[in-house]
Amino acid sequence: MHTELELVTAPEVPIEAECLSPAKIKGLSQSGIEHLEMMHGNRKVRVGDFFRVTGNGQCSLRLEGDLSRVKYIGAGMTEGEVRVNGSAGMHLGAGMSGGMIRVSGDASDWVGPEMSGGRIEVMGNAGHMVGSAYRGQRVGIMGGEILIHGNVKNELGSAMRHGLIAVGGQAGDFVGVNMRAGTIIVMDGMGVRPGAGMVRGTIVSFQPVELLPTFSYSCWLRPTFLRFYLCHLGQSGFEVDDAYMGGRYRRYCGDSVEENRGEILVLDAR
Amino acid sequence: MSETKTTEAAADEPNIRIVEDATCTFCGCVCDDMELTVDLDANRITKAKNACVLGRAWFLQHGIEDHPQAMIDGREVPLEEAMDEAARILHEAKFPITYGLSDSPCEAQRVAVAINDLVRGNIDTTTSVCHGPSGIAFQGVGESTATLGEVKNRADLVIYWGGNPAESHPRHFTRYTVTPKGRYIPNGKKDRYVVLVDIRKTPSSPVADQTIRVKPGRDFELLWALRALVRGRDISPDIEGITGVSRETLDELVERMKNCNFGVLFFGMGLTMTRGRHFNSGALLALATDLNKYTHFVAKPVRGHGNVTGADNVVSWQTGYPFGVNFHRGYPRFNPGEYTTVDLLARGDADAAMMIATDPASNFPKRAIENLKKIPVISLDAKPTYTSRAARVAFMVATYGINTGGTVYRMDDVPITLRPAFDSPFPTDEEVLTGIHTRLKALRANGRKKAA
Ligand code: SF4
Repeated sequence: MHTELELVTAPEVPIEAECLSPAKIKGLSQSGIEHLEMMHGNRKVRVGDFFRVTGNGQCSLRLEGDLSRVKYIGAGMTEGEVRVNGSAGMHLGAGMSGGMIRVSGDASDWVGPEMSGGRIEVMGNAGHMVGSAYRGQRVGIMGGEILIHGNVKNELGSAMRHGLIAVGGQAGDFVGVNMRAGTIIVMDGMGVRPGAGMVRGTIVSFQPVELLPTFSYSCWLRPTFLRFYLCHLGQSGFEVDDAYMGGRYRRYCGDSVEENRGEILVLDAR
Repeated sequence: MSETKTTEAAADEPNIRIVEDATCTFCGCVCDDMELTVDLDANRITKAKNACVLGRAWFLQHGIEDHPQAMIDGREVPLEEAMDEAARILHEAKFPITYGLSDSPCEAQRVAVAINDLVRGNIDTTTSVCHGPSGIAFQGVGESTATLGEVKNRADLVIYWGGNPAESHPRHFTRYTVTPKGRYIPNGKKDRYVVLVDIRKTPSSPVADQTIRVKPGRDFELLWALRALVRGRDISPDIEGITGVSRETLDELVERMKNCNFGVLFFGMGLTMTRGRHFNSGALLALATDLNKYTHFVAKPVRGHGNVTGADNVVSWQTGYPFGVNFHRGYPRFNPGEYTTVDLLARGDADAAMMIATDPASNFPKRAIENLKKIPVISLDAKPTYTSRAARVAFMVATYGINTGGTVYRMDDVPITLRPAFDSPFPTDEEVLTGIHTRLKALRANGRKKAA
C-alpha cells in the first residue's frame, strides 16, 4: 500500500514542500497529511489545499500530476520510497540520506544536492547542479546514487565527495568541478572543462571530451571496476553498449592545479 | 559639505551656481572631483569641469522633463494614491520581486531591502546580470582586495582582463591605474607595467605595454594554465592551440607577476559574462590568491553602473548575501539561479515586481519579458522607459547625484557622498520607497488586528 497525493490545484507560484517525504507522513492519518504545512510563495498553506490525499501514513509515497513547480520533494528523507508520476521541481531529494526517489518525467535544477545516501532516479532530463554542493559549501554529495536517464545541464556533481552519478544522455559544462572523490559516468558526451579543480575521483565519458590544459595523458587501460558499474546501470535500464564493457579507455590525470590525483577515463574509439 | 556659491549677478544675467567636488554617478568610477556650473533659471548644468566624455554627456544632457510624478495604468494620479496602490500590490503578492537598485543611492537601497524583508519578497540587483558570477566566486574562493587609492600609490603591475575601460570607464586609467603618480610610483606610467588580456583589439589597447589576445571563450583555460604555472605544475604542450597564447608569453607573464611589488588584476564583464561565468571570476580570484605566496596581489572587478557596488554592499550588510536574496520564510536565503531575477521571470515564478532604476523590458530575454508583462509591475525611474510605460504603477523620481544627495559606493567599495546641483520637482526614490514601506507596515498591522 502507498499514500497517493494528486496535485489538483495548480500553484500560482512555486511551492516548497519538504513535507512530501516518507518520514514526515509516517503514521499520519489522511487528515493529518492534509494538514501538513508547505510554503506557497511567501504564504503558509496546507497539503490539502493543493493535493488530493488517499491512503495514510505509509512509507511509500506516490505523487501524481505536474509537480515541476513543487520544490524540495523528498528533501531530507531517510527511508521509504517516493514515486513522482510526472515532473518534479527544484531541490528534489535535497540532503537525503536514505530511501529512493523515482521521477517518471523531468527534474529541475539541484537534484539531490548534498545527499549522503539513498537513490534518485530520473527517467527524463534534469537541470543544472545535479548532485552538487550548494553555493558557498565546500563539499557536495557524500554518498548515494543519482541516475539520470536523459540529459543534464552544467555543474554535474560539483564538489562531490562520494557516491555515483550516471547520466544516460549528455551533460553540460564543468562536469565534476572541484570534485573530491566519487564516480561520474556520462554516456553521451559532455561540455567543456570537465574535472576543473578536481582533487580525486573518476569521471568516465564514452564520447571524446575536450580537456583542460591542466590534464595530462597517463596510460590506457581496461578498468575492471567499470564493468561492475556498467552491469549495475544496465540493470537500472541504461543502454550499455558492449563496446563500453570491454573497451579500452584512455586515462588522463589532473587537475594539476590541485593534486593531480583525479582521473578522466575516455573510451578509446579505436 | 559642498561649497556652493551663487554669483551676485545682474538681473539680466543668468542665475549661476558653481558646485565644487560634485560626484559623477555615470559609471563605477564615481569621480568626486567634478566642478559643475549650473544655470538655475534653466535648470541645466552648463559646464562639467574634470568630467570625461561620458560624464559630460550625463551632466549636460540632464534637464527636468515635463512628466507626471506618478501614474497608474498610464493615467496621472497623485503621488499618495500611487504609493497606496504600490503597497497594495506588494502586500497581496505571494511572490513579489524587487530588481534593479544599481542606480539608486544606498539610502534608497536600504529601504528596498526593508520592504522585501517586510513582505517576504525577493530582492535582486543588476549585479546578477553583470558581476553576479564574481559574487558567487567571492563566496567560493574569497577575494584579496585593495582600494583604487592603494592601486594608484603602489601598483607596479596592472592587468586588465576582459574589459575596455577606455570606453566604459574613461578616467580609470588617468585617475588610478596607469598615468597618475603615486607615493611609491613616482614616475607614473613609466613605473608601471600594464597588461591587457582580451579577445580583440580595443580602444584601451594603446595604453598597455603588452596586450595578450586570448581566443574567444578561452579565458578560463588561460587562467587555469597561469594558475598551474604559478604553482609550478605542468600544463598541456598544446597551450597555444587551446588558448591562442604561446607558452613563452605565459612563462614571461608568470615571472612578471611573481616578481612585481604590488600587482592588481582588474576584470570586466568580458570575463564574467562569457561561458564559464562564476568559474571564470573564480579562476582569476584564485590566481590572485595563489600569487600571494610570492608577492602582494589583488583582484578587483571593474563595475559598470554608478552604484551597483553600493547595492552589493547594502544588500550584503542587511541580509548577509550580495544579490538574489529570498525572504519567503522570513529569513534571507541566497541561491543564484533560483532567486535571480532573470531566472525567476523566465520561469514565471513571480507574481508582482518592483523595478527600481532599471529597464528589464528592454534588455531581458524574451521569455522573461513576456512573463513580466503578465504581472503587475511597479517602476521607479528618473526617465520614461519601456518598463515604466508598461508598468501598472510608475513613479518618476529625481536623478541621484544631480538632483538628490545620498551615498554611493565606488567600485572599490569606498563610500562617496553626492552633492546635488539643482532641485527637481520629482520625489527621490528613497521618499517613494519610504512611503510604500510605511503603508505596508500599516497594511500588515491592520491584517494582524483583523486576524486577532
Ligand atoms: S569616469 Fe565615470 S564617473 Fe568619472 S567622469 Fe567619467 S563617467 Fe563619470
